[in-house]
Amino acid sequence: MSSLVGFLSLVFAIGINFYLFLSRYIFKFQKQKFNFFIRFSSLLTLLSFFSLMYAYVVSDFSNYNVFQNSHSNKPLIYKISGTWGNHEGSMLLWLSILSIFSFFFSFTKNIDKSFQRLTLIIQSLLHILFGLFIVFTSNPFLVNSILVNEGLGLNPILQDPGLAVHPPILYGGYVGYSIVFSIAIAGLFQNTDDEWLYVAKKWSLISWTLLTGGIALGSYWAYYELGWGGWWFWDPVENISLMPWIAGLALVHSLMMVRGEQAIKKWIVFLSILCFSLSVFGTFLVRSGILTSVHSFAADASRGIFILLIFFIVTGFGFLVFLLKEPKKSNDLNLLFINKVSALVINNILMIIATLTILLGTIYPIIIEVMYNKRISVGGPYFNATVIPIMIPGFLLMSIAPILSWQTNKIQNSKKYVLGFIILSILVSIQSYFLDFNTWGFVGLLLGFWIILASIIAIFSSYKVKFTIRFIQIINPHIAHIGVGIAIVGITCSSVFQNELDFNLNEGDKFNVNGKIVLFEKIETTNQINFQSLRGKFLFDIEKNQSKEIQAGKNFYPVSKMITSEAGILHQWNKDIYLILGDQKNNEWFVKVLINPFVSFIWLGVIIMIYSGLIAVSRR
Amino acid sequence: MNRVFILTPLMVLLIICVFSLAYLLSGKDPNKPPSALLNKDVPIFESSSLYNSKDIIKSKDIKNKKTLINFFASWCSPCKIEHPLFFEIRKKHPELYLLGFNHKDLTSDAKKYLEDDGNPYDFVGVDSDGLIALEFGVFGLPETYLINEDGKIIYKFMGPITMDVLKNEIEPLL
Repeated sequence: MSSLVGFLSLVFAIGINFYLFLSRYIFKFQKQKFNFFIRFSSLLTLLSFFSLMYAYVVSDFSNYNVFQNSHSNKPLIYKISGTWGNHEGSMLLWLSILSIFSFFFSFTKNIDKSFQRLTLIIQSLLHILFGLFIVFTSNPFLVNSILVNEGLGLNPILQDPGLAVHPPILYGGYVGYSIVFSIAIAGLFQNTDDEWLYVAKKWSLISWTLLTGGIALGSYWAYYELGWGGWWFWDPVENISLMPWIAGLALVHSLMMVRGEQAIKKWIVFLSILCFSLSVFGTFLVRSGILTSVHSFAADASRGIFILLIFFIVTGFGFLVFLLKEPKKSNDLNLLFINKVSALVINNILMIIATLTILLGTIYPIIIEVMYNKRISVGGPYFNATVIPIMIPGFLLMSIAPILSWQTNKIQNSKKYVLGFIILSILVSIQSYFLDFNTWGFVGLLLGFWIILASIIAIFSSYKVKFTIRFIQIINPHIAHIGVGIAIVGITCSSVFQNELDFNLNEGDKFNVNGKIVLFEKIETTNQINFQSLRGKFLFDIEKNQSKEIQAGKNFYPVSKMITSEAGILHQWNKDIYLILGDQKNNEWFVKVLINPFVSFIWLGVIIMIYSGLIAVSRR
Repeated sequence: MNRVFILTPLMVLLIICVFSLAYLLSGKDPNKPPSALLNKDVPIFESSSLYNSKDIIKSKDIKNKKTLINFFASWCSPCKIEHPLFFEIRKKHPELYLLGFNHKDLTSDAKKYLEDDGNPYDFVGVDSDGLIALEFGVFGLPETYLINEDGKIIYKFMGPITMDVLKNEIEPLL
């Protein structure tokens, strides 16, 4: 029953959008009526999504999708998240989020109504494309032809609270760019004033913030669930999310800086189209099964071709409009040796080069396989060797960019910055002299701390410190950059100064980690509701009274016969002690210990960036 | 110059789409990597029968006869789909030796599975810890290998075999 409701409302919503699109050129809508239809179709799409969720919650195995991906003894949260833990459901989530964005956009005030309507018509077009994709190739409401009373279960690796919320937030970012795309295209068509830039700014900030949160959640999940001790693997799926993130960053900065320059406006339109194109391209690569990862569910060529077609239409349409309706050229850029505009231009160029470099590394294996029928993989070494050096000058520039002037080459208080940089260089040099020297470690630390220091100097020397909302908003760019600096310090330390120890242990053995004695207390197995767990219990630093317990082990999921590793992590502010329990051989357990310094800084940095994103959204 | 700059994204788009389409149409599946074992000697294995633990099969026992090796398990639903096809093969090619490996399964479950759906295999070897599958580089169940008289792997198929696969890919090799 719920499946029928879901399917009908999905089709009905597509029908409304079709009607809206066609009738625009047949008869004029009353303003109210048009928005009513848009909102109605959004609500129908949501109804469809929640019908599917309902089928999951009540374990309605007459729905084929539920049967394939759920199991009645799963905890409620994974029944709910199971809704998007599969291809069909996640595409419906995609469409629902698209609808939510249209819904809220239809409420935007202080905006030219015909412009708003044109934007929503473009959204309707996207809705139709993705809606048809779902109905024809990925219908989550198919009826199960066999009578069953139990489902096949959700991939155990996805049964994790972090991963339950990761897809909706990430999609919020990806799909959020649809509205930016629509705004930009509508802006090109109408080509009237610059009002759309301010509207686009808000939506691109929202999308970027959500994307940041989504990527961070996925990354944090990989850190504690995959048991490899790292948090970023340059996996194709990660690269796909990083591309719109960097392009979106360039977009947000351009939108902040634009003062009516036509060249930058053109660039903004280009970036808006690019961001959404990259989002759709990512969806294509993952959903077509061209890339394998935990994200690619059953591969199906027809799906791949359909979504490639959508990608081609959307991107081709976007860039074609860009080509034909380019904004008129008038006033030029005020480029100086070093002012705000030139810093922005340089940073944007670097970010685009970085995006293209990642794009090349991601599609290169596809091209090679098509041409030479050989399978290659492009991984960490390529990206580390290319993307990071490209970004370094950008990082250097960002430390001072917010205090650069618009009109002149002068930097206020430049002496303070020079002095700060010299002192910092000396400190970092001393640090690397006493610890083992590593070039990347040195560069990373200097860069990260320099960004933090320069931002702090800027806050205290350029503004009067007051504790008002206005002040928080004014210093927000600096705060965001401090977040980046903190994250860079964390990234550098955790990757360059990571330490690995291997042990073969019996229960009751003691071993030494960084001068602290750790006791391998015992192995425990317990039966949980949907899995069996095996845990090694470790007591960290037993010589102190307050020793901390770390549990590392594995879970066995009987429904899908899968074993997942569950790393044991002791979080401290300056390092993570990361324990992985290996296999038992000759009565000895293999235990791997990773000491990851300053990992917490990465998450702290990201949280600060998200905070800044939210503050920037709230700013008028 | 300006036009060239604006045309670039469209060119890039076209190139990406052409290659992606070529990839999709080539029927390649990244879930099914080419086997490194193709045309190599069959890995050395030793396994006891599902029905009698004293009855042992070794890799050298299958020399001098064409052998079809199939990895299956009672918990693997795609295995159930391809299962009837082995009776077909049995009927058409009685000379072919059918060796099944029961992968990471409970003996009782496996026996019940072969009782319910029938047993097409000449020999069912137990691979309870999955070590034999590891030697063969099994990626996921089911998987099927064809070994020629010289003990070389001449064909490998991942996933359930179908009538098409049987007709167009396996039978020409028999």
